Amino acid sequence: MRKTSIFLLSLTFIILCYFTFISAKKVFRSDWQLAQETNQNVDQHRLVLITQDMETSFWDQVESGARKQALKEGASLEVWGSYGNNQEDFLEKIEIALYSKVDGIIVQGLDNAEFKELTKIKASFYGIPIITVANDVPMSESFRRTFVGSDQYQAGRMLANELTKEMGTSGTVVLMYDSEHEYYQTQRLSGIQDVLHMYPNIKTVLAQTSETREQVLTTTQDVMNRNPDVDAFIAVNANFAAGMVQEIGKRSQVEPYFIYSFDDAPETLTLLKEEKLDGMVKQSPEMMGENSVQLIMEWLNGDTVPLNTDGYFTDIHFLKAVDVQ
Amino acid sequence: MNSIQKKILTLTTVVLVIMSVIWVALTYYNHKTQNQYNEILQRYLSLNEVTSASQQVITDLNNYMLKPTSENLELLEHSEEKLIEAKLDVDSLRNPENNFTLSNYINLIESLQETTDRFLLYFSEKDTEASTKEFTEAMNISNYISEMTLTILDTELKTHDKFYRSIIERSGEVIKLGIWLLLLITFVLILITYWFSLGITRPVLKLTQAANELSNGKFDVEINVETNDEIAFLARTFDRMRNNINNLISEIKNKAQLERELQENKILLQESQFRSLQSQINPHFLFNTLNTLSKKAYLEGSEETSDLLVSVAGLLRYNLKQIDRSVTLFEEVAVLKQYMDIQKARFTERLKFYVDVDEDCLFVRIPALTLQPIIENAVIHAIEPREEGGIIWFRVKDGEEKITIEIEDDGKGMDQEKIQQILEENQMETEGHSTGIGFSNVVKRLRLFYGYDHVINIFSDKGNGTKVVLSIQKEGVEKG
Repeated sequence: MRKTSIFLLSLTFIILCYFTFISAKKVFRSDWQLAQETNQNVDQHRLVLITQDMETSFWDQVESGARKQALKEGASLEVWGSYGNNQEDFLEKIEIALYSKVDGIIVQGLDNAEFKELTKIKASFYGIPIITVANDVPMSESFRRTFVGSDQYQAGRMLANELTKEMGTSGTVVLMYDSEHEYYQTQRLSGIQDVLHMYPNIKTVLAQTSETREQVLTTTQDVMNRNPDVDAFIAVNANFAAGMVQEIGKRSQVEPYFIYSFDDAPETLTLLKEEKLDGMVKQSPEMMGENSVQLIMEWLNGDTVPLNTDGYFTDIHFLKAVDVQ
Repeated sequence: MNSIQKKILTLTTVVLVIMSVIWVALTYYNHKTQNQYNEILQRYLSLNEVTSASQQVITDLNNYMLKPTSENLELLEHSEEKLIEAKLDVDSLRNPENNFTLSNYINLIESLQETTDRFLLYFSEKDTEASTKEFTEAMNISNYISEMTLTILDTELKTHDKFYRSIIERSGEVIKLGIWLLLLITFVLILITYWFSLGITRPVLKLTQAANELSNGKFDVEINVETNDEIAFLARTFDRMRNNINNLISEIKNKAQLERELQENKILLQESQFRSLQSQINPHFLFNTLNTLSKKAYLEGSEETSDLLVSVAGLLRYNLKQIDRSVTLFEEVAVLKQYMDIQKARFTERLKFYVDVDEDCLFVRIPALTLQPIIENAVIHAIEPREEGGIIWFRVKDGEEKITIEIEDDGKGMDQEKIQQILEENQMETEGHSTGIGFSNVVKRLRLFYGYDHVINIFSDKGNGTKVVLSIQKEGVEKG
């Protein structure tokens, strides 16, 4: 009896001690520190990647490539940008980056006056190097150091060549492009047209539209009304592809048409998988990210001065719907 | 000696120490938590300071632009200074997570300063277009600063989110710790108090029980209190008292015992004296007559009768002497022989008497008239009732430590009950003893004389005779 009670008492004591100890350990655990104050990263080059289309698969890949390279180079990189082609927001971000005196800006080229003003005047005022990525704005208009991305003219040519291979050397081709006349689109367009013009039996129809979806639909409708014998569609601005396919689908089968586009809009890959697109030009966004960071670091470190103003082209290849399946 | 007080003081001190430790720990914890909160709050405040300072710069800039007085310029300069101060404050908030943004932020502030300076330059040069442009730019930058403040605050919140959670979690843990600690301390205190009070009350209880037993007359239970406080002292004193009382009582008992034995002895002596006195008048006359008869028988030529009469006379004379004296074994043996002569004359051929005496030990002292009653007993029981007669052996043997006297017959023996009766000194009816002294009287006197119980022993089997053995120890005999 006495032994049992002593045992029970000791047990209670040990249990109580144990729980008190555990509890005390939790309370007085010494990870009180806030995030450490630091000055060690001050020397790092601060780079900013600014895009208009945040969180699309294309720009996500550019971002991941850039981050990878920044980590390798020991630079700190931030990705800013606007969502869904909000240009005002996009330009503001560039302005902030300039006022913030970052060491380098990698930016998706935007072929309009404000962009050119910012890059030309403000950037030179603050002495901040700018590299355009994916979409170029000519050196003369933006004072960019260089361009990293696909050779859009070559991309256009590649697409046109594929088209002629599939369609043959005669037919009517609709080229749908932006009314803003962005530099990269003009490049693509000229690439396409240069190839198609070699075949006299191919008739090209130029359809210009603004970027809203309604406009795209209307324009597609209009073009089809005016050219009932159309054989192929090319969305020079990849963002048009979805609307275009939708409108064509409304009228007839999508199958008989040759529909081509580029990969820099979020939905093109899905369309390709659904076989609504017959093919597209695939660029190398990750490589763009990597190369752009590498080049800007080379420039900042003075390894390669000046950079090749014509641009550094990344790989392109053609992706057919059949290949994706 | 004031150890109960010491115990109480110790207990109180221990409790106080525990309480203070807990208090100190909790206060420390509280203080730490508050410091952390304060630090974070300070960060937010210094960020906010930047926003308001930059806005103030713009306001003052505007005022100065509208009313270019030196007063307004001073205000502008003042707010710019404040902006610089705020910038320095913010610079100390750098951590890995906001490093980039913070650099941008500080550069933005610098840009604002530069723009302001440019504005002042253009303004003093009356370049209105340029100054207006700079003002717009400054306003833009100020807006960006506000925006970025929000971004940084957001980052800060994210950074500190985990920290906040851990603080909240921890305050939950503190409550839990409090409960556990309370339980533990309660438990320990109850145990200590129990043990402690037991240390005081148990000796008291023991003492109470001892007092109770003492008052009930039990003086031989030892009081044992093994503490080192006042109660132990009390217990020791009490125990000493008990011992003293106990000793006194046993002394009184011993005395009473002695007195009683003395009394008994006296009564026994008186009895035998009375008996001998009873037969003192006649015996003197009888003794003289016997002597006369002996001489007459001798003169008449009857020598045998004359010898017999001498023996009877000797026996009588021996008998007449005071009974409470000691004699030597030699005298006792001589009387025994005379008595046996008389008995031989009586029983003639029926009685065979063998004597074997070691002459060396006849010096020992022995109470008078002890052997004769025993041998008389043997004659009465072993010879008288038997027609064919019997044999009696008398032996005195010298041993190393003791002298053994044996009286043996071959009569019908005694049963154990009777032996027991004799040895327990119970009175029994006498069967015609010549001396009038019973067996039990002999046993009693022997024991009294030698002072030990095993001086006499009786061995007997029914039908196989009886053997009475006296063992007299040599040492201590002289003093008798």
